Amino acid sequence: MVAVAPAVRRKRAKSTDDGVLTVGRSRAGTIAANTAGILFSVFMLFPVYWVLNTAFKPANEVLSLTPTLLPKDPTFDNFVSAFRAPLFLENMLNGVIVTLLAVAGALVVGFLAALSIARFKFYGRKAIILVVLVVQLIPFISLLIPLFLMLQQAKLTNSLIGVSITYLVLILPYTVWTLRGFISGIPRELDEAALIDGCSRAQVFWRIILPLTGPGLVATSVYGFIQAWNEFIIINTLNSPDKQNLMAWLLQNQTTRGTAWGPLMAGAIITSIPVVIFFLIIQRNIATGLTAGAVKG
Amino acid sequence: MSVVERPATRHAAPPPARPTAKKRKSDKTPWLLAIPALVLLAGLLGYPLIRMVILSFQNMRLRELFSGRTPPWVGFDNYTRVLSDGVFWAVTGRTVAFTIVSVLISVLLGLAIALLMRRVTRGVRLFMVVAMMFVWALPQLVAAQIFRWMTDSDFGVVNYLLDKIPGVDYANHSWFVNPWQGWAVITTLVVWAGIPFLAITLNAGLTQVPKELLEAATMDGATPWQSLRNIILPILKPLVTIVTTLSVIWNFGLFTQAWVLRDGHPEPSFQTLTTYSYTQAFGQSRYSLGSAIAVITVILMLGVMVFYIRQMFKIGEVE
Repeated sequence: MVAVAPAVRRKRAKSTDDGVLTVGRSRAGTIAANTAGILFSVFMLFPVYWVLNTAFKPANEVLSLTPTLLPKDPTFDNFVSAFRAPLFLENMLNGVIVTLLAVAGALVVGFLAALSIARFKFYGRKAIILVVLVVQLIPFISLLIPLFLMLQQAKLTNSLIGVSITYLVLILPYTVWTLRGFISGIPRELDEAALIDGCSRAQVFWRIILPLTGPGLVATSVYGFIQAWNEFIIINTLNSPDKQNLMAWLLQNQTTRGTAWGPLMAGAIITSIPVVIFFLIIQRNIATGLTAGAVKG
Repeated sequence: MSVVERPATRHAAPPPARPTAKKRKSDKTPWLLAIPALVLLAGLLGYPLIRMVILSFQNMRLRELFSGRTPPWVGFDNYTRVLSDGVFWAVTGRTVAFTIVSVLISVLLGLAIALLMRRVTRGVRLFMVVAMMFVWALPQLVAAQIFRWMTDSDFGVVNYLLDKIPGVDYANHSWFVNPWQGWAVITTLVVWAGIPFLAITLNAGLTQVPKELLEAATMDGATPWQSLRNIILPILKPLVTIVTTLSVIWNFGLFTQAWVLRDGHPEPSFQTLTTYSYTQAFGQSRYSLGSAIAVITVILMLGVMVFYIRQMFKIGEVE
């Protein structure tokens, strides 16, 4: 999730993905391996399956001492009750606003910084790279105390603006780092050819780098979206419940409503759907993002 | 200073075009581009970091928070208090132990799954990737809540399934009464959620191992184990080092899982350094004490971070 990702992507894009280990390939061995692989996948998927199973069960089946593998009486009641729950829709809207503001800000600011370290050679460049790498590693929770006090002084606690700025900074290092990777992936010869053909530096930026970074911008913003959408500790600490997001809503409802697991799991599904879909989409995009740029050029 | 930087790809030999006179004048462009990001990072990451260190030498309580007065300086009082407290050492020991155990299990299992992915047939491999992608995509909080629900003492599916084993009584078993069992649940959750990143990344690394090398080794009579030890692992080593380092950093900062599984009020035996610092600050309004703990946490992680950065420069990812 942090800086290692681009390296892997670049490698994977090149590989043929057909290098099955050749050593000791017996039929029995393949069957054993396949069985192990399927068992592993089932084990991994079980919790995902269980949350879906729970969310479609009526209350009496959820709180049953003999849970069934499928709902006997499938129902959407839990989803309806999650949507009708206090603050659910407000918190959803808050989450959308905060996330979009943070991602848009990080994208603009981050793209400029990425351009700077990917395309220019200057004194202090290594220092900037070092800063970007280091800040990704500092656990944000440990900075929460001074951040809370600062925003409190600036009267920005319990406001969506304060959280948006915080999220912007939270996703900025990743954004800079990933976009840097995408921009370096664009052959420099394209810039030079354009310069020789009489483009100005600004035109090179508008006509070559920006369009070719397109897939990278999409992938990066989606990743930023996921990070900002999933955050709950900061917003839960800085804001009161009516100014929080859906993740914080889930946390609040787990502790206050005790055993209402059906609606809670339904709420968890609703909250996860956008990020799961986004994640699955960019997983494909990221692999091709780098090569796509060069081919189009 | 030339403006055009050397090519990103290391193999490219031709020297970059000489900058024209016009370009040479705009030396400040890279800084102008980077300044907005640097200002934001300095203001909301750098400054808080300094503030945190200052706070840890003061005594900030609720009174100072509301009055806005500068909290009194207390020197190293917070640190002496924290470091002479048995609870702090128990929390630190627990966090370190958890990190070692969970990272060891995750990386070994991740490696095993990555190797397995190379051995299974195409369809099964696709199934494994899809299963892992779903787990990877799940928000941390949601994943933790699912585990909370599955380990519920009355209606949890885990107790129900274990109770079915003959001679085992797990009806109404509470997983968090005994800290060892509770931590087993937390570790399972962390490993389960961490496997996709590790296995898929390491699998991508495995595709880079030249097939010819393995074939040659088999021809020369190498056992699969020998091929793994003497060919695959050495090639994979830089990648393994990086994902291990990242796992250490992430698991050392464990917060969400312990927080959610303990319903937002972790008992003393379920505190980690991050939850401990958070509870001291926001639960007890001891902001300075919490800051001191946070400073110590960051210092403890510093060694691993430096190692990570050095690795990143070494493998040439930072060009």
